Amino acid sequence: MKKISRVLVANRGEIAVRIIRACRELGIKSVAAVSEADKDSMAAKIADRVICIGPARPADSYLRADILLCAARGTGCDAIHPGYGFLAEQPDLAELCRQHGVLFIGPSPESLRQMGNKLLARETVRRYSVPVIPGSGKVRDVKEAYQIAEEMGYPILIKAAAGGGGKGIKFVMGPEELRVTFETAAAEARMAFGDETLYLERFFSNARHIEVQIVADCSGKVVQVGERDCSMQRRYQKMIEEAPAPSLSDRQREEIREAGVRIARGMRYESLGTVEFIFDQEAHQFYFLEMNTRIQVEHPVSEMISGIDLVKEQIRIAADEPLPWSQSDVQLTGHAIECRINAETPELGFQPCPGRIEQWVEPEGRGIRVDSHCYSGYFISPYYDSLMAKVITWGMDRSEAIERMRYALERFVITGVDTTIPFLRDIFDQPDYIKGQVHTRWTEEYLDSLHFLTPSGSEDGPPLQETR
Amino acid sequence: MSLTEDEVTQILKWIEDSNFDELNLVMGEMKLVVKKRRDGRLVAEEAAAQRSTQTVVPEKGAMEVEKGKPFCATYEIQDRTGAIPEEGLSAIRSPMLGTFYRCPAPGAPPYVEVGSFVEEGDTVCLIEVMKVFNAVKAGVRGCIAKIFPETGQLVEYGQTLFFVSPDDRIHKKGEA
Repeated sequence: MKKISRVLVANRGEIAVRIIRACRELGIKSVAAVSEADKDSMAAKIADRVICIGPARPADSYLRADILLCAARGTGCDAIHPGYGFLAEQPDLAELCRQHGVLFIGPSPESLRQMGNKLLARETVRRYSVPVIPGSGKVRDVKEAYQIAEEMGYPILIKAAAGGGGKGIKFVMGPEELRVTFETAAAEARMAFGDETLYLERFFSNARHIEVQIVADCSGKVVQVGERDCSMQRRYQKMIEEAPAPSLSDRQREEIREAGVRIARGMRYESLGTVEFIFDQEAHQFYFLEMNTRIQVEHPVSEMISGIDLVKEQIRIAADEPLPWSQSDVQLTGHAIECRINAETPELGFQPCPGRIEQWVEPEGRGIRVDSHCYSGYFISPYYDSLMAKVITWGMDRSEAIERMRYALERFVITGVDTTIPFLRDIFDQPDYIKGQVHTRWTEEYLDSLHFLTPSGSEDGPPLQETR
Repeated sequence: MSLTEDEVTQILKWIEDSNFDELNLVMGEMKLVVKKRRDGRLVAEEAAAQRSTQTVVPEKGAMEVEKGKPFCATYEIQDRTGAIPEEGLSAIRSPMLGTFYRCPAPGAPPYVEVGSFVEEGDTVCLIEVMKVFNAVKAGVRGCIAKIFPETGQLVEYGQTLFFVSPDDRIHKKGEA
């Protein structure tokens, strides 16, 4: 076993706070690595030590593996927690850590590479007899794209091999859109990921996003902590997540969980991970989408129904501690839902709305959990993503969790910036959502219908509150 | 059109690093005036001229930090490590996180000592990040009044490394 006594938290926002709390519970000291813009952040306030790693721009701070490693060594940290986003899934930081004897709290650089390239991931997963979304290999040019798309049938998705997490995806309705979309997708992939490799995937119009939470230790033990349903998305970005998935039969649920375990076991995965699937509601068939080799934003819903502290387990696993529990010990109870509260203006196409928070009052009550780094007077920087808080509610069943979420969203007071709360409140009144009858494009279709009912730009207030 | 806090900070840094004493920036309805004080500190004022009250839907990707409110800031350089330059002194700050080195090589004489005279472009120390050494320039003309870190110490981004007395009388005496 390796000893972790001090952790460099190489991230910001709510996840940095979450990691620092987990460290404290484990008796581990934490050092918050902050950019100049985050010197007054919650993470900086609660960490045992703060170190300023660079200017606000992520490329000069949170994305600098060399600086982060230097900061870890200079402050006597024996491990780095990358959180999510930034360098969490980049093999570079994990590789540097390995070379310099600092523990990377995450999987091996090999696993990061294997799942980081989405084409390689598809190939890998096929070997474990798990169905993969029908699609192509690397597409060389537009001509080849036309050919493949013709065989597959429209609509299709163009994806960047180096993408993932909902980034680098383009929707193509028909052949007339293919050329332009393909060319812009290649250019964008080159800009965003430095790799313009593209592939095509079949598009499912009535599908759910189901993902399996994996915990795997150094002894080869692989355990799943149930699945989550993250079908409520907008532009491939998740908005509402819940566990367990409301739509699956017991057999489907077992199959999908087992497939997740099979993949993790096959690749000798070690750490926390999430295997994502698309579940086609027409054919009742699931397909591997991608694997996220990090802690996920929506991990709290699994924690709420299992009682397991996933971040603490992740840190223990990095120290080569074997999991003290087995699959049969994982008891899932009740239902949990998470809403992402973003500093965005829903009626302006969810445009980010950074600025200073005037009033911040979190909801409280039975079964309500808020993970956040915000407070009254906190300045939301335009340099980073707009996530302000995650509201998680737990109930004995789904309807109780929904009822508590309604209460929590009503009670949450945030002034000074626009938030997604009015939109979320509205969702929890939609019969489709309450019945659990949604799919990955439901939110967008619903937003389109709102747009139709109340043209945007109306001066009378947010259109979302006026409808229905 | 308005500037974010960070954009203003960036502008202030440029001015601080430049030889200019004053900047007048007018962008549409917004005006930004930056003047260097005699002690080298900066004062920024942003005044909003007549603002249209009409709500305009910003273009995709455009961000406005403080909607409808002019951004007013009085920016004074304060050292985050608590070392506030005394009257008449200016600070050389670390441009990056890394390990501080006063000498170009082990055993070699340090770049500067207290009392050394430096020109803007003179190297005052090295910062090492993963075996890559970066030379730190004085950025200001004057005498080294105080040296903060020791060789081998980890310094943070923005940490004060030196105080410089912009007074160059010592140099003039030497010339005379």
